[in-house]
Formats: sequence, structure tokens, C-alpha cells
Amino acid sequence: MLLAREVLFFGGKGGVGKTTLASAFALLAAERGQRTLLVSTDPAHSTGDILELAVGPEPREVLSRLWAMEIDPVQEADRYIADVKARIADTTPPRLMAEVERQIDIARVSPGAEEAALFDRFTRIMEEAGDRYDRLIFDTAPLGHTLRLLSLPEQMATWISGLIGRRKKVNALGRMWRRVAGAAAGDGAPPHDRVLAALEQRKARFERARAVLTDARRSAFVLVATPERLPLLEAEKAVGTLDRYGIPVGAVFLNRVLPDDVTGEFLERRRERESRYLDQAAATFSGHTVHHVPLQETDVHGLAALRRIVACLHESERASLS
Amino acid sequence: MRWWSGLRRRLRVAREIYEGMFVAPYRSQIYREYLEQRDLFLLAGFSDLLGAPNPVAFYTLELYPELIEQFHRWHLRMGMEHSPQGGFRCC
Repeated sequence: MLLAREVLFFGGKGGVGKTTLASAFALLAAERGQRTLLVSTDPAHSTGDILELAVGPEPREVLSRLWAMEIDPVQEADRYIADVKARIADTTPPRLMAEVERQIDIARVSPGAEEAALFDRFTRIMEEAGDRYDRLIFDTAPLGHTLRLLSLPEQMATWISGLIGRRKKVNALGRMWRRVAGAAAGDGAPPHDRVLAALEQRKARFERARAVLTDARRSAFVLVATPERLPLLEAEKAVGTLDRYGIPVGAVFLNRVLPDDVTGEFLERRRERESRYLDQAAATFSGHTVHHVPLQETDVHGLAALRRIVACLHESERASLS
Repeated sequence: MRWWSGLRRRLRVAREIYEGMFVAPYRSQIYREYLEQRDLFLLAGFSDLLGAPNPVAFYTLELYPELIEQFHRWHLRMGMEHSPQGGFRCC
């Protein structure tokens, strides 16, 4: 049962209905009494458009027990930079402030800054799983971006570990030097190393995020595709990549499947083609539960339309249990 | 008590000779090693400032306030009167 997990990620090729399904799941979880946070990490946000509710860069309770937010990488990067600038005021002589701030502004526009800021916010939100919120539901960017985001905890923690190792060596040598030099090394006890403390705090946060990500009891990745060639190929590749990062795949949702009761010569031909893709998907994802979500008469936006999708989820849940 | 202060003086001289022969070279060696490792840490954490890619540059930026003074001492030690172009603007 997917909703037994604290953290769910919805990912797939652009346009397959990630946001729709993530929103429907969030609605379902909230209606079952879970305090749920729906988070969009896609820079091209559409959560607010689908819910037809105002969603901003901070969590806001849009319905009872349902919070929603759209992470804004630009704002996150600006906030981090402002924080560094505020702290620098304590350690930098006033005459240097302008130059130092200029240097920090260069870092702000460097490539990767916004991705790093997005990831930073992501790890902070992950800390709230099971604490402030019972359920976290991530509506992610198209797969390439998302897989990269999810691989970051491991890569970043490795780099930070390297820096921590170096820093500890520096501190050990500093202690040795103070021991042999006595008074020549200056006064008394070594100062608290704020550099090491900052590095260790960051590493711990990255590792906690990674621990949740790779724990199949606490989190799962839900792949969304439509019964078409390219979305299925992309989902298949994603399964391989997620396996490599040790991130559990919870289920595969095939969205916009033609309903049985629609008829017509054109649609029959489409259905024939579609059934081949459905068979192919069943074979490709044989190790996973594959759910079908039928094509709707109208676009899905607004709560009423979303509730129809929720009803479909109920049904496929029952089907998969029986 | 003259014999006591005499003994103390002799002990002090012996200790200074011992330190001069064995501890002093060791001490400067440790200090050099300490400085080298500190410089290496700066390089590892801020390699992007010298043009080498650093995947965690954005996160080490928060260490900048703590390390700016150390960077200043580094470039003085390296014989540069002012901070090199592109590096920390400490002076």
C-alpha cells in the first residue's frame, strides 16, 4: 500500500500527469486524516493550477490537513546568500565588506547555485517527514532532473565527508602544535571549530535525507507514464537508475488509458495499439504493481475533477488488493 | 637552600639543551605540516575560486566568513601582498 509510506515521489516524462496524480494522492491522504504536504520541485510549477488554489514557496494549508508548496530555487538561493552575508558581518572588518559581498554575489550567479539551493530546501523538508507532516508527497521535475536531485545526497555527503576528514587532520595537527609549542602557540584551549561544526551539520542532514530515500518502508518512488512509446522507455530507464541509487520503486501508474466503454472505429484502432503498450508495460515492470488510470472526458483541474481521479485510485487500490 | 636553586638552574639548562636538540626541529616540522594541511583544506573547500570545479562550492560558501582571515594570512605567506585576482577579497 503506497500511502503507508511517509514519503512519496511522483516522477515521469514531462506531460504524463505527474502533478495530477501527486495532487490526487495528496488529497486522498489528507481525506484519510493524514497531515499531508504536497511539494512541487518542478521549476515549471503547475500544482497551483491543478488544485486551482494559490500555492507559494512556503507551505500553506490549502485544504483541511493538506499543505502545498512550490519550491522556488531563485528564492532559496537568495535566502542562503543573504544568510551568509549576515554572518560575514561578524568576522569581516567593515572596510572589506563591499569586496566580500561582491565575491558572494559572484557565487550567487555561478552555475549550479540554484540547483544546490533547491536540494538544500529538499533535505530540510525531508527532515519534517513523520514530524510536522505525516505524509510528504513530492511532485517532481521531469525524470532527468529528479534522478539527479535524488542522487545528490550520496554524492554531496561523500564530498563533505572528504572535507570533514581534512578538517579533522588540520585540527589534530593544530593540537599537536599547541602541545609541543606551549606558550609560543598562543593561549590555552583551541577555539571551537565552527567550520567543522558547519560541515558536520550539513553532512548529517544529507545522510538523514538519504536514509529516508533508500528505506522502502518509509519512502517510494512512483513512476508515471502514459501508454505510449517514449514515456514508457523513459520510465524503464528510470527504474534502472533508481535501482542503482538504492531508491525503492513503489508502483507504476499508466495514466490516460482509454476506458473500456468508449467506442468508435478510430478509438478501436487506438485501443489496439494501446493494448500492445499495456502488455509491454506489464512485462517490463513485472516486478512492480502497475495501475491504470483512465482517460477523463475533460482536462483535470480543480478539486471536483481531482476527486474523480481519487475515485479511480480507490478502485485500482481495491483491484490490487484483491 | 643554595644547593636547591643550583640544582634547579642546572635542570633548566639541561632541559633547554634537550629542547633545542630534539623538540625545536620537531616543533617547526609540525608547524609547517599544520600550515600545509590548513592550506590544503582551503584548496579543497574553495577550489572553484582558483578555477578548479568544486561540486560543493555553494555549500562551502557558508564557511567563507570563518576562513577569510586564514586566506589573508595564506597569501601573505605566499609572498603576495594583496589577495590574488578571483580569490577571496580579503584585502
